[in-house]
Amino acid sequence: MPVASDTTAVAEAPDVAPASSPQSDVVIETRNLSKIYRDFWGRRKVAALKSLDIEVRKGEIFGLLGPNGSGKSTTIKLILGLLFPTSGRVLVFDQDATETRKNERIGYLPEESYLYKFLTTDETLDFYGRLFDLSGAERKRRIDELVNLVGLQGARHRQLREYSKGMTRRVGLAQALINDPDLILLDEPTTGLDPIGTRDMKDLILSLRDQGKTILLCSHQLSDVQDVCDRVAILHQGELKELGKVSELLKVQDVTEVHARGLSDAAKTEIAEVIRRHGGTVESIDNPTTTMEDLFLNIVRESERRPGARRVSAGEGTNEKVAAESEGKS
Amino acid sequence: MTLQPEDFWSFSEWLMRPQSFLESALLQGIVLFVLAILLGLLVGYLVSAVRYGPSEGFYAVARAVRDLVRSDLPGTSARRIFALARLAYKEAIRRRVLVVVGLFVVGLLFAGWYLDPRSSDPARLYISFVLTATNYLILLLALFISTFSLPADIKSRTIYTIVTKPVRATEIVLGRMIGFVAVGTLMLVPMAIASYFFVTRGLRHDHEVVDIKDLGNGRFEGKLSYDQFHEHTFTMDPPAGPGEPALGITDSVRGHRHVVRKIDDQFVIGEPTGALRARIPSYGDLVFTDRSGNIDNKGIDVGNEKARGGYGASGISRLIGVSSEARRLEYGYMEGGTLGSAIYTFDNVTPARYPEEGGIPMEMSLRAFRTIKGDIVSGLNGTITMRNPDDPKIESNPITFVVQEYDVAEETLPRKIEGNDGNEVRELDLFDDLVSGDGRLEVVIRCVDRQQYLGTTVSAVYLRPAESSFAWNLAKSYISIWLQMVMVIAFGVMFSTFLSGPVALVATFACVLLGFMAEQVYDIRYHLDRGEDMGGGPIESLVRMVRQDAMTTELDVDAVAGKIIKTVDAAIVYSLDAVATSLPNLPKMLGTAEYAASGYDIFNSLLARHAVATFGYVILAFLIGYFFLKTREIAA
Repeated sequence: MPVASDTTAVAEAPDVAPASSPQSDVVIETRNLSKIYRDFWGRRKVAALKSLDIEVRKGEIFGLLGPNGSGKSTTIKLILGLLFPTSGRVLVFDQDATETRKNERIGYLPEESYLYKFLTTDETLDFYGRLFDLSGAERKRRIDELVNLVGLQGARHRQLREYSKGMTRRVGLAQALINDPDLILLDEPTTGLDPIGTRDMKDLILSLRDQGKTILLCSHQLSDVQDVCDRVAILHQGELKELGKVSELLKVQDVTEVHARGLSDAAKTEIAEVIRRHGGTVESIDNPTTTMEDLFLNIVRESERRPGARRVSAGEGTNEKVAAESEGKS
Repeated sequence: MTLQPEDFWSFSEWLMRPQSFLESALLQGIVLFVLAILLGLLVGYLVSAVRYGPSEGFYAVARAVRDLVRSDLPGTSARRIFALARLAYKEAIRRRVLVVVGLFVVGLLFAGWYLDPRSSDPARLYISFVLTATNYLILLLALFISTFSLPADIKSRTIYTIVTKPVRATEIVLGRMIGFVAVGTLMLVPMAIASYFFVTRGLRHDHEVVDIKDLGNGRFEGKLSYDQFHEHTFTMDPPAGPGEPALGITDSVRGHRHVVRKIDDQFVIGEPTGALRARIPSYGDLVFTDRSGNIDNKGIDVGNEKARGGYGASGISRLIGVSSEARRLEYGYMEGGTLGSAIYTFDNVTPARYPEEGGIPMEMSLRAFRTIKGDIVSGLNGTITMRNPDDPKIESNPITFVVQEYDVAEETLPRKIEGNDGNEVRELDLFDDLVSGDGRLEVVIRCVDRQQYLGTTVSAVYLRPAESSFAWNLAKSYISIWLQMVMVIAFGVMFSTFLSGPVALVATFACVLLGFMAEQVYDIRYHLDRGEDMGGGPIESLVRMVRQDAMTTELDVDAVAGKIIKTVDAAIVYSLDAVATSLPNLPKMLGTAEYAASGYDIFNSLLARHAVATFGYVILAFLIGYFFLKTREIAA
């Protein structure tokens, strides 16, 4: 039975950030934000950010995209008050970015997990919990919750120096969430994660958004951004090049996509005929390929169900089977 | 141990200096705070003005001040400070700094081999060894742990996860300081305990009776074996009552005696006593009289006495040139066989304070200076006369003594002594006749031998009303070391808020060093003030060295160059002088070790002064650290 759909993978997310949101819903606002890095003598070295104007609204996932050195990290650091703007302003929750009190509602996952290697997971989370002035009982509750969330139950009492990169990343994420923040800033959230971790991270980001939290992430993993972000800003050489809803930015207006299952070759020819009859151009009728991510995840899931060596029949429609499975799931 | 006048100041005297407020520690502290804050604001303004323009720079500085007062100080949370302190503590512990304590203890185990067993004063040797060793070790450790931690956090960017939490700069600075102080304390306490046992065990030894002579009537005279490079003789009296052992005491060798008991015809030698002491001295006021009997405040300088006298703590009065005293004499001398004398006036001489029946214990460590060889084998002779300060005609007969140099001579001022009550010679009572109504007593010391000189200073002669416990005194020395450690940590953390680790280390070290070199800087300044050619400032001395010119000649360069050199030198020396004056007086704090080593109780007021000064510097370092951290771009 043919299933027609105009959705893309991106469109899974509902539109939660209407363009005409009221002013009070603005969580982060940058006004004419510029940053020039200077050397020790105050000489101008590089203009990392030029007159950036963006607004991040409550409840959306906002992505900052751009190649290396485009000013993504600088923007995040300015928002956090780790850097001071050369000109312009950053307002977070209507407060200046250098204001310490705004941090009570912010969670931040740095680019690499800059954590104290000599602490264990529990100690790390307890330490960051104390920095939020959380009471002992509250800290304990949050730590148990977060350790389960990021899946580090088995390694709570090991020092972080013994952790793999992915595990450190999870601890980093847990510490970013210790205060149940309203705004979460994620700097390259999926670097260093394996595909399962990446998928978990993306699912988590979406579920955080569903809890009403606002998320700003920056990444150069385009697929991540595409999968989770509601809106993106694309930066290049410190300048804002594009800003808008992902669904709109990516939609190719004059192309229609049809997904169907169980069609014979004759039927395909007939459909091509129908399209031509309506004045359209058939660009391709083909079996879709799945993504490497889906293939990998399916293999891992299958292996978890049936341990042992996997039987591979070379070229025997493996992809079709996988694609069918993955569609059946989504 | 020679004390300087300022060492005798009580806490309030030191803080306020009632007669000369310009010399007071309080004023010095206030000036230091005000200057540091003004300088900080100025430098802060200049830096931000260069970065962001003149008006924006002003707002940046104003914002930092406003934030401190309005949000950062009131918002400072004990729980966050504690969390950060615990982090600093854990970091140090997990980096195994406690290994140092182990090394110290192991070092102590072997140190006994290298301490000269033939020393004439082993107690002093042992005590000053442990105190000096721990002092430098702890300061060095404090230097390292405090200066490297924060820059390492900034470099590894772990600080990002801290400053993006609602953590104030105040909390980061305070948390570090408290954490490192905790680490230091954890290291110092075992070191102190190990030191105590090292000293007490190290001095313990035994002798055997090798020779005994029965003097009849139950009295004995004996000799003890040669052990630990010394021997004793002893005398023993008959038992005080039936059933009690006969007791004897040895002579004092190397600062200790042994008690000898006779139990069933066996002589039992006790442990050494009197080696580890904490005498509580009661010092008096000292004036000298010259050879004609006229009052003279200093005594005679027989040469080289100024080298060790020091400038003392004259606060900012010396700095701004109000008082420009030279170094003071360490010992003043009186001429023998003339009317020259040293007159001490002791306060609070009451029977309640000195209940001993035999009289008041007085101790002297005088120095001799011979201008003729005389009888070289025997010491110089001196006399002690007691006098009523209200009526100097009431005077005891002189008690003669032989000067023991390099040793503390124990004398007793007898309760009953022949003397002149103004009308007749009769037996005088110390408390009734010689002590004035308000409890003062004058003790006059003279040198008997003609053309020989006897030297003394305020701390050389004192009454000894009591004795404190050695263990407590050692603990006080360690408290002093602890205070120095706190000071170094505060400075280290302060510098590490804006300098990289190694640079912060060098800066802190330079502060410590300049504190130690302060008196030398004062010397150069003093000669500069007086216009004396004593080698000049840094540039002039460099020129002299290169040209191989003598120190005391006129600088032999052309007039303009000379003028420039002298002006630049003056600027350098005066600034160094100001800096050295504003830095903590660590040598004075280090000096408390000398009290313990010499067997004197460390004045509580001295410890209180050090504690208050340390606290003041910690607050200053905290404020400076706060401003630097607050105005710093962490991610830059």
